[in-house]
Amino acid sequence: MNSSRWRLLAVSLSFMGWLASCSILGGEASPAPLFSVPATFPQPTYDLSKNPITSDGVALGKQLFFDGILSRDGSISCGECHNQSHAFTHHGHGFSHGIDNQEGTRNAPPLINLAWQDSFFWDGGVFDLDLFSIAPIENPLEMDEKIGNVLQKLRASKEYPKLFKKAYGSEEITTERFLKALSQFMLTLVSANSKYDQFLAGKAQLTTEESAGLQLFKDKGCAKCHSGALFTDHSFRSNGLLPEYTGDLGRYRITENEADKNKFKVPTLRNIEVTYPYMHDARFLNLEAVLRFYAEGVKETGSLDPLLKQNGRLGIPMTADEQQKIIAFLKTLTDQEFLTNPRFAAP
Amino acid sequence: MKKSFLFSALTALAFSFTIVSCTKEEEIGPNDKNSISIEFDNYVGGEKLVLGSKSYKNSLGEDFTVSTLNYFVSNFSLKKADGSEVKFPNQYFLIRQADTKTLTVTLPDVPAGDYTSMSYMIGVDSLKSISDVSQRTGVLDPASYGTDNMYWSWNSGYIFFKMEGISSVATTATKLFQFHIGGFGGRTSVTANNLRTVTASFGTNTAQVRKNIAPTVHVVTDVLQTFSQGTSIAKTSVMMNPAASKPFADGYSKMFKVEHIHNDKI
Repeated sequence: MNSSRWRLLAVSLSFMGWLASCSILGGEASPAPLFSVPATFPQPTYDLSKNPITSDGVALGKQLFFDGILSRDGSISCGECHNQSHAFTHHGHGFSHGIDNQEGTRNAPPLINLAWQDSFFWDGGVFDLDLFSIAPIENPLEMDEKIGNVLQKLRASKEYPKLFKKAYGSEEITTERFLKALSQFMLTLVSANSKYDQFLAGKAQLTTEESAGLQLFKDKGCAKCHSGALFTDHSFRSNGLLPEYTGDLGRYRITENEADKNKFKVPTLRNIEVTYPYMHDARFLNLEAVLRFYAEGVKETGSLDPLLKQNGRLGIPMTADEQQKIIAFLKTLTDQEFLTNPRFAAP
Repeated sequence: MKKSFLFSALTALAFSFTIVSCTKEEEIGPNDKNSISIEFDNYVGGEKLVLGSKSYKNSLGEDFTVSTLNYFVSNFSLKKADGSEVKFPNQYFLIRQADTKTLTVTLPDVPAGDYTSMSYMIGVDSLKSISDVSQRTGVLDPASYGTDNMYWSWNSGYIFFKMEGISSVATTATKLFQFHIGGFGGRTSVTANNLRTVTASFGTNTAQVRKNIAPTVHVVTDVLQTFSQGTSIAKTSVMMNPAASKPFADGYSKMFKVEHIHNDKI
């Protein structure tokens, strides 16, 4: 009797300890880490200490990401224009259709490795992932809703107060909690297991063509801007596209500095095979058109990057065969695990 | 003569009593505190601002109405004659002409003393403008604006000053002019900085904070000053680019004047 009472006390104590640890960590420990820094990657730019990633936080963020409640009439979710199978770009759309079937003005960028990005949008107008989601929600062509209204709708829903409580310990729904939950889900969208990554880890072989393409990718200078493990240096550059389709002047819109006209953020090339069409104005349908452009189509934009006008010539000299090989290499950056991971899939 | 002497003597006596009683009451304890209120009273020229249909004229002769007038004030600081200063960091206020209760700003816990000038910022300082979302509460919460937006989501930053209305010289189809002024200097690149600091001496007046006195500083603005540094509605009817907004920001930084100060006992 006495010993069983002690056992009960011990059990309840350990249960209390478990409860306490849960409330501190904000969720149960999960078998696979929700977020980790791949071995070849640098340290993230996002300050994870201000928004610790928890399984309940990510679950809430995912629920929000795929919920049309974020839009004025309930029709458009984040996932509408950011499809997992296409590395979270809008499959088949140059410009996405938002609310009331209105067309946006720029090609939806992929959502990949956002923890390493220090600015967002093609023009870098937003400098903090936590502040990002306000823009598509309030853009009249996208979701055309007010953040305040979104929070009201979430508060009035049956389900969300409970999900916020699970994630944050109370049912209170604030701007910070809402935005940080979305960030948590987006931060987990890490792509680092392409064939190329496996090759680097000694787990896969590149074909002769792919290896030749990798060598050309370095020799021709592609890697100077699409650099490192992230395949971008996060800079803003003019790559020789004139504003002839949309009149979009890119980074200039934010800085109002003449030198920034026609400059756009260097995008990552990870999963580039599935993120067609290409460029901020979606003018190129396939990678063949992109490579041909760099070989033959680069124009002086007034701010053309010096790397694209070397030896008295615009663009990058490449034969058709070399272009093919580079494309073969680029396709090794496709990460099937990322594109099909059920953790990222629409519920 | 005799009578008038007596009268003077009595008056003097009564007056000295008043002085004595005043000094006694106004003695400042080391821990005495009270609040200071600053009331923003928006005028156009000599006329009280009325939102809506009332028409005004700027110095270029352009007619205009004002449908919206909003601005952020922050980073208040109060100075005494000896140069010592009391600062109020991390307190942000949004003045919205459409909402009377926002027109008075209250600074709490001001140490008792005689203040001779104040300064404040029109806008939201750069540190706050790049701060974590957890720091953006109250009037800085992007969820708090509804349709009267004071935050740019596509070019992260607050709209420091917003004036909208109708003008017959506006070049827009609806004759609407929209001046949205922001720009804190940029985070990832250097961009236009339209933060302005207003410094106002109280002149011969002082704001006398006492245990039992919470002064009110009455600030009268002149919206016409916004046009004083080269802004023309006909030339720019929609102003949202920070770099092009400098003359307007320079103009509104001149529109604030301290009219008088109340030091009434509670």
